[in-house]
Amino acid sequence: MTSTVRLLASTRLTLLGIALLALGALLSYNKPEAPLWLLVAPLSWLAVNLTGALFVNPRLRRDGGLLVFHLALLGMILLVGAGRLMRYDGRVEISEGSMFSANEAEALRQGPWHPFRLDQVHFAQGPFSIEYANGLNRGITRSHVFVPGSDGQRIAAVIGDSTPLLLQGYRFYTTSNKGYAPLITWTPAGGRPASGTLNMPSYPQYEWMQESHWTPPGGSELKFKLHLKTGYSPNSDWVLDGKSEQTSLTIISGNSHFDLKPGDTATLPNGSLRFDELRSWMGYSIYYDPTLPWLFVVAVTGVAGLGWYYWRNPAKQQFAAAAIPSNTRSISL
Amino acid sequence: MILSNPPELAWIWAGVAVYAVATLLAVTGWPKVSVRERLLLGLLGLGLVLFAVAIGVRWERIGHGPFINLFEVLASNLFSLGLVFSLAYWLLPVIRPSATVALPVILLPGLWLLAVNPTDSHLPPTYDTPWLWVHIMTGKIFLGFCLVALGIAGAILLRRADFVRSFRVMPNDKTLDQMAWRFMGVALIFQSLMLIAGAVWAQDAWGRYWSWDPIEAWAFLTWLAVAAAQHLRTTFRVPPWVGATMILGIFVLAFLTFFGVPFISMAPHKGAI
Repeated sequence: MTSTVRLLASTRLTLLGIALLALGALLSYNKPEAPLWLLVAPLSWLAVNLTGALFVNPRLRRDGGLLVFHLALLGMILLVGAGRLMRYDGRVEISEGSMFSANEAEALRQGPWHPFRLDQVHFAQGPFSIEYANGLNRGITRSHVFVPGSDGQRIAAVIGDSTPLLLQGYRFYTTSNKGYAPLITWTPAGGRPASGTLNMPSYPQYEWMQESHWTPPGGSELKFKLHLKTGYSPNSDWVLDGKSEQTSLTIISGNSHFDLKPGDTATLPNGSLRFDELRSWMGYSIYYDPTLPWLFVVAVTGVAGLGWYYWRNPAKQQFAAAAIPSNTRSISL
Repeated sequence: MILSNPPELAWIWAGVAVYAVATLLAVTGWPKVSVRERLLLGLLGLGLVLFAVAIGVRWERIGHGPFINLFEVLASNLFSLGLVFSLAYWLLPVIRPSATVALPVILLPGLWLLAVNPTDSHLPPTYDTPWLWVHIMTGKIFLGFCLVALGIAGAILLRRADFVRSFRVMPNDKTLDQMAWRFMGVALIFQSLMLIAGAVWAQDAWGRYWSWDPIEAWAFLTWLAVAAAQHLRTTFRVPPWVGATMILGIFVLAFLTFFGVPFISMAPHKGAI
């Protein structure tokens, strides 16, 4: 048994594991589609190897600093693995004045152990502003959101850039994906009106192509073109705040064109469509990984262990052992 | 605003010239040791002041630190590499002959800097975080310790050919090897802190702590290389020249990660602009 553990704990196999991990990293980098086992296999091997070493390598057990460092490495491997199993990585677009809806969130990656609580997340999107410097260099993003408080009051918060919204363990990050969203109301002939927003392409990235389409129930496809006067300029400072000095929405239905100002209504074959007002939408990335704080603590503890190891094994003896030749005198400053 | 000849450029040129003179003295071994060592330390100090002024002038002019483009990264590393090596040179007389190796390495980014466009940069809002400072500072200390180790490793390797006389007065190879690897060990501590701070920053800024972008991947490979080399040394008890060669390889990897990958790769690591 001991000989098997010794074999598993061999530092030669550690080197092999490190080499395989390096190869896995080389094959994985910049390739999100790379198979996960390229990293999982060598990391698992290194975890087994390290566990064995902790049992049979007396040097590791004797030196507290080295022990803490290696235990932290093992802990990090386990935490990263647990994080992968429990994580959620997604995105959502929320228009101004709307509540976040879990149904509209798109999951990009979701671990099998993810405890889905996104439906317990409630917040409303307010207005946002983004500063742009000359050359369309994106500056500070301020996205206003409103979270229901326990007493029924709305709690206002401003998020953006390095400040995510943290609710139920989910982190909502603002992205460069945002734009305008005309609020329209469709009233079918003899039916009840229904309102909703049309999220136009990201602005100012697609400033030249603010177009969308929508098909009313039982009708034919409608094409929309949004005309804005936002002050957008690639050669000067500018603030994107969801407002526009002049706004019109062109609706194309078959061979018919309607140019609507906010408040105008177009009468179409199956009903009427009103352009209520101009709003904006913000794209968020959503991230859930409950291991993050633990990962940080374990990583820092590991580095502290390594520091302790070098501190307790001072260089003094080593450097004193180095015979300082007479012609390398110290310099007095 | 884009200036073709920004005011900090004159300070940069002066700093590189001073480093070049120091390098010349270290490589030629002129004048005699006691005078040369004082002169070298004085020149390194002067170079540091000149680079500090250059960085300060630019910082004041464009409103942010030297974090973004190649010009800024090279300039700040000329300062940090010079600072770490100067401290080692001052505090550890025994390693002073290694300046013959270390100073030409410091001069390399200096000469490169003269050919780089000093265009002004824009600081993305995701860079406005204390984690950026921790990430960059620890990264610079890591590279600085690697440089000191490289100087010692270079002495081990070059004195096998016995054409640099000043290396003869250094301690034996085994002692130098232990010293060099102690510096690599401390470098590993700072490199680990750099990776941790970078991960925290990335999580806050881009919503993921690790995404295998080129600079993350190469920084991790450098960390693995240091870890592998440490295990190789203890497992196979390699002779000092092998250890020195490994340090040379690690330094090349770290140097390319710092100065090559971020500016060759088109993949984002610099914030969504």
